[in-house]
Amino acid sequence: MSRRKGKRESRWRGVAVSDGAAAGRILRIHVGAREDIYRVALEPPEVEREVTRYRAAVRLSRRQLLALKKRAERALGDEHGYIFDAHLLMLEDRKLNEEVESVIRAELVNAEWAVKVITDRVLAVYEEIKDDYLRERSSDIEDVTRRLLVALSGESMSGRRLTQDACLVAEELLPSTIAELDFTHVKAIATDVGGWTSHTAIIARGLGIPAVVGLRDFYRQARTGDTVVVDARKGEVVLHPTPATFEQYRSDSSAASPARARVVPAEELRAPLKTKDGAEILLRANVELPVEYDWVARYGARGIGLYRSEFLMSHRGELPGEDEQCAAYEELARVAGRDGVTVRLFDLGGDKLFPAGMETGEERNPALGLRAIRLCLRREQLLRTQVRAILRAAARGPIDIVLPMISDLTDVRRTRAVIEEERARLGDEGKEVGAVRVGAMIEVPSAVLVADWLAREVDFFSLGTNDLVQYTLAVDRGNDEVADWFRTLHPAVLQSVGRALEAAARAGIPSNVCGEMAATPAYAVVLVGLGARELSMAPPSIPRVRRTLAGVEASEAERLARECLGCATADDVEELVRTRLGGLWPHLFPPETLPPPKTRG
Amino acid sequence: MAARGVRVVNRLGLHARAAARLVRTASAFRSSIRLERADRSASADAKSILSVLMLAASRGTELRVEAEGEDEEAALEAVCGLIEKGFGEEEA
Repeated sequence: MSRRKGKRESRWRGVAVSDGAAAGRILRIHVGAREDIYRVALEPPEVEREVTRYRAAVRLSRRQLLALKKRAERALGDEHGYIFDAHLLMLEDRKLNEEVESVIRAELVNAEWAVKVITDRVLAVYEEIKDDYLRERSSDIEDVTRRLLVALSGESMSGRRLTQDACLVAEELLPSTIAELDFTHVKAIATDVGGWTSHTAIIARGLGIPAVVGLRDFYRQARTGDTVVVDARKGEVVLHPTPATFEQYRSDSSAASPARARVVPAEELRAPLKTKDGAEILLRANVELPVEYDWVARYGARGIGLYRSEFLMSHRGELPGEDEQCAAYEELARVAGRDGVTVRLFDLGGDKLFPAGMETGEERNPALGLRAIRLCLRREQLLRTQVRAILRAAARGPIDIVLPMISDLTDVRRTRAVIEEERARLGDEGKEVGAVRVGAMIEVPSAVLVADWLAREVDFFSLGTNDLVQYTLAVDRGNDEVADWFRTLHPAVLQSVGRALEAAARAGIPSNVCGEMAATPAYAVVLVGLGARELSMAPPSIPRVRRTLAGVEASEAERLARECLGCATADDVEELVRTRLGGLWPHLFPPETLPPPKTRG
Repeated sequence: MAARGVRVVNRLGLHARAAARLVRTASAFRSSIRLERADRSASADAKSILSVLMLAASRGTELRVEAEGEDEEAALEAVCGLIEKGFGEEEA
């Protein structure tokens, strides 16, 4: 391994959000490549248009940076916002803008080339700086340059094809960024922002890719091509590892290879799953990306329990039209087979993505803002297009609709009215439609409290445990500062889950638990104890959960759950789960698979 | 015109974050404000972050700050104060 002079090994601690470890070369994911810049000669009449184009790119970059700055401040504190403040100032810099424009005018060249000429000049000065720390700051200028160039190209910030194995390093990977990448080449992921339930984390676990998030300032130190070890077993990232570190990592990896690689025979995966005392459990797939479609059959999922439809949105924030959506849902129904697919209506807005042109104003509390079903009802055309596409696709295979972030029965009624209107309209148009069941996501405390009312007017419940934890405990799931307060096994969360499951049972409707909770074997046992009989998870988690549940008694799980419900604190529940599981089923829960006892200061 | 010498005292020098604060501060004044290395090897417009960054002023660098305009005294005070106080950064 070659190490450039001055590239000393450095270690970074973050939050491990998946398992395993990998070493390789870094690919920084941000914006387009500087190498691809071309020079185009302009005719004199084209010059002013080019200047206008440059100014528009500056404005676009500025908007992006303002949003990034806000997010960084919210997630990491004001200190981190300053970085983007510096970037913003560079964009506003009269010297930069005047020089770029004068190059466009004087040399009759395109804006991209002018930006490159000017920033190359600045970077050249930087290369001469003797102070290591200041020289490192050239990354800020590079970042701003790339953002500008991408804005000029009209492309996405990420749109890059992976052609060789790489460890992705980014400030934050957005679902749209992740959606575009070729996963077969992703060896590991390391990001500055994010927590256990961020999209990056969920996807990394789903794909079995080692990922460490919450590294705070790693992105700016890393360069594409640098060597790195991403160790998700320890929550550590090592930049420029020495040969000794590299060897250490390699021997660690060969010694302990996690259960991920174990092969389960296909027949075994497809047989109905029953606990030892005969309770039947359905394991379904959570799916968002086409790359995952094959996994539904491969891991023996009983259809798709949750399809996150907002992943249909392109990286430019465009949502596909009715026909295109219809084709996508038909494909999903085909993939899901007779067990069917549950499509969650667009869960957009808030801290998630906004479709182009639908951005609302700044929200003080995006998680509590105009998002999910609220956005669908407010931007009704969005809802109608999606509903029409689903109704049409349902003629070809079993599809259900689930409504995200229901907080009041009125949301259900209003959405149902739209569905019925569109069904009638499609009928009038002579188009074939299928029957769809309509369910409610239970992920907000108010929905839990009025669950009995909801259960009378929907066909099923889906429990989104990630949001349920976030909203019940008032803990932002993306904020690593408060990660200690994000306690899935909090008694209040378990009571909420239990209550929602009971309400569904009383009304005689099925319910599905589709949060990350279901994918963790120990938690899955608790969920079964609370009465869950249908769990939906990232497909690669299915074999492990299946093995666990096949080896436990539902009656014992129920006893454990009752005890958990009587606990006062999350610590108490965790300790109880840890000791009981290890005691009842030591073969399924050997000590090393359970969390260590808490040592709290 | 008002002018005086000042020394960069914070550990990391005029890095991006410090430069951003300096430019924000300077931009609040009407006066034109220049920073010059005491050895006259380079000078910068205090209202342009690229210009300030290219001064490459690390810790210990001696600078001369010049302000010219209706609020030159206040501008000089604000800019020099910021640099002398190490941009409010904690020393490590």
